Amino acid sequence: MHYPWWYVPSLTSPMLIAMIATIHVFVSLYAVGGGIVLAGEVSYAYKVNNKSLLDYLRSHTLFFILLTVVFGAITGVGIWWTISLSSPLATEALIHIFVFGWAMEYVFFVLEIVAAFIFHYYWGRLDPKVHKTIGWIYAVSAYISLVLITAITAFQLDIGNWTPDKGMWVAFFNPQTFPQIIARSGASLLLASLYIYLHAAFKLKDNAQLRALVENRTSKWAMAGAALVTVGGAWWYVNLPESAKAALAGASALNILTLLIFTASAVVFFMLYFGPYRNPGWLNPGFAILYFVIGIAATGTGEFIREGVRKPYIVYNYVTGNNVLISEIPKLQATGYLNGGTWTKAFMKAHYPQVFGTDGNIDGNKLLQLPASDQIKVGEVLFQYHCNDCHSTRGFSGVAELTRGWSKGMIHTVVTHLDKAHFFMPPWCGTEAEATVLTEYLQSRSEPVPEGMKFSNINSRENTLAEKVGRGEAEK
Amino acid sequence: MNPQDLIGPFSPLGNPAPFWFITFFKVFGFILHMIPMNIWYAGMLLVAIFATFGRNHSLELAHRLSRSMPIIVAMGVNLGIVPLLFTQVGYYQFYYPAGILMAYAWFSVIVILIFAYYGVYVYSLSVKNNKHTKLALASAWISSIAFIFIGFLFANNFSLMANINDWIHIYNKTNVAGAALGTGLNTADPTLIPRWLMMFGLAITTTAVYIAFDAAFFKKRDTSPLTGSSTSDYKTWAGKFAFAFYTLGMVLFAVMGSWYIFGALEKSTFDQLSQNSFMYIIFGLTAVSPGLVWIAMLLQRKGVKRKVTIFAAILQFVVVTLNAVSRQWVQNLEIFRFKNISELPVNIQWSPMILFLLLFVIGLAVVGWMIAKIVAVEKSVA
Repeated sequence: MHYPWWYVPSLTSPMLIAMIATIHVFVSLYAVGGGIVLAGEVSYAYKVNNKSLLDYLRSHTLFFILLTVVFGAITGVGIWWTISLSSPLATEALIHIFVFGWAMEYVFFVLEIVAAFIFHYYWGRLDPKVHKTIGWIYAVSAYISLVLITAITAFQLDIGNWTPDKGMWVAFFNPQTFPQIIARSGASLLLASLYIYLHAAFKLKDNAQLRALVENRTSKWAMAGAALVTVGGAWWYVNLPESAKAALAGASALNILTLLIFTASAVVFFMLYFGPYRNPGWLNPGFAILYFVIGIAATGTGEFIREGVRKPYIVYNYVTGNNVLISEIPKLQATGYLNGGTWTKAFMKAHYPQVFGTDGNIDGNKLLQLPASDQIKVGEVLFQYHCNDCHSTRGFSGVAELTRGWSKGMIHTVVTHLDKAHFFMPPWCGTEAEATVLTEYLQSRSEPVPEGMKFSNINSRENTLAEKVGRGEAEK
Repeated sequence: MNPQDLIGPFSPLGNPAPFWFITFFKVFGFILHMIPMNIWYAGMLLVAIFATFGRNHSLELAHRLSRSMPIIVAMGVNLGIVPLLFTQVGYYQFYYPAGILMAYAWFSVIVILIFAYYGVYVYSLSVKNNKHTKLALASAWISSIAFIFIGFLFANNFSLMANINDWIHIYNKTNVAGAALGTGLNTADPTLIPRWLMMFGLAITTTAVYIAFDAAFFKKRDTSPLTGSSTSDYKTWAGKFAFAFYTLGMVLFAVMGSWYIFGALEKSTFDQLSQNSFMYIIFGLTAVSPGLVWIAMLLQRKGVKRKVTIFAAILQFVVVTLNAVSRQWVQNLEIFRFKNISELPVNIQWSPMILFLLLFVIGLAVVGWMIAKIVAVEKSVA
């Protein structure tokens, strides 16, 4: 709230983070797992002096570089871009806590890039021992970058014993760090294997013997990955904060997705066991594509759940989903959300100077004396800065639909008791007068109950009852 | 609306390192980023032009540049993380609002960069595989234009960061109920165009030095399949061309730099600059330093010479460094007028900082070891 809010119609700007981050994870996990598998397999191929396997791995390395060094690296930078645009306050906090963690990650990025290019471009020209070492330099660097970034995302879910006066290490070793590292390590190996299957299914279409070898050897990495995902996932769940467990249990979308991820994981596991592990040679392009799609679906779902259960925080117990520092909430509730926001206050000063009192702050009474149309406009400002992080007006999680058929009293009750109505929403961070103008705005956008519904009369009765309840709450 | 009202409060967490440390790494990181970035910025345009219109040596240059371009872009993108990181640590109150006001353009950098980078690969692989298709040529052009456009967007954001007065105009024109629509650009700022093109001029000079360096050190002793001419012919041509190209870049840099300093910079900033003798010297050196490299390039106009090329490369590094330092100085002057951001209390994170510095040194040593291995391979081939 100390920064201007970026309004993206219909979608909400944080959804851009989700889009970029999910796409990035598909490739970045491969960048880590693929590096480990390539280093391991190249070492094996040198050991047994299998030239045809080395040739295949060389061709896979180019595919790997084209995907990870270009798309993976730039979408990774893209996450930074989007979080700074869509969640600037949370980003500001994370950067100040983890700046040296990110700086260390940068060192390993540079090592990754240099090692990856030398590994590929000097293939066959370097001494095998040096070549293998460079492969492992890449693998270790990539893995350390996974560890560093996972600790930061884990911290977002549970800050553990960290308080603002404590340094980076307390934040780094939070209860979620190790479970997530294990789960992601497994996911990286599993996903890397599916990428290799996809590539090998096309590249080695006419070389059944080599394809079977690649299939069988890769399946061992994949099985190890699946085991790590299971262990890490279970530990992740056990270590979840209560709010996250409740979100997982309470949100129907998350229920379905959790079921989906377990089903997809089980399907991949059985396909791996009965396919490449027990019966190498089954792999064909269609099978590999199916594998890959299921793997991607499981990974994407996992990431969605990981993000979803964090609500109502961006950083657990420190920054709320609508970019408010927890420590600032009492003051905002006392003196007003519009007063507390740098840009909201400047906007109000420029457009509604008449609502400011002699103390330089917005006076609630004066706010309510504005003409009805202006109250709605001020309500829209509140909506943008307080609600638009998660809700659009019409579109993604649109309030027009969510409040369909609600009376003004119901809306007002929910606005003033956001965290009570839904524990995964942040509390109302404004004054009573601000709640009233926000209610006016939401009421003006709310859709009516759909026409023609058989129980529309019942709805009307419920609305009346709810209105009474809402009015009662408002009067309190 | 008062511009002061739009600057948010300090982070309650304090700075994790002293402000000088943050600024040092911001500038140092920018210097390291600028070198590869300069080469793709001007170099890719050269690739596109010579790939389309070039003959003999110029076409060979396009091919040589394109083969190393994927590595140059990868290094440049990664080296760009450090200045961006430390910008966010020390200058967040200015960097975030500027980015949000032009959010769509800023966000588009990522999308454009992906296309530009793949374009580089398409052309590079076409050269490697000796398949010169129209698609490859189009990719080279698309990449080069995309890089120049990305430069324009960067110039926009980083000039808007310090142009707080114009935040108001952009915000007033592009807000929806107080929220930024993100469709702004800093086009009303008179410093924008000279800043953008000054960097392009600098990029031409760095690319010219790279061309000479590449010819002096990486051109193998063989006969070019493209031209049928010998290595020494190419080295002679490269020295001559690099000198001409450097001259072009230096002129552009001088013209745009003069426009920026004398014609676009706010008077109060200009006055502050001219009153501080140390800054005066730094700016003077920034202005004249390309002249020294130009002399080194002049000495190679009849053919590149290894020792002179090394000298030119070191001098060009100094030119880039002076440029980065001067830019930072101006940015601080412009920003500190609104808020002294060095006053944020410091809450030093000693052990992570020491570990980072240690890893940085170890990382450099490992990179050095890997490079030594490939140099040994190259030497054994030669």
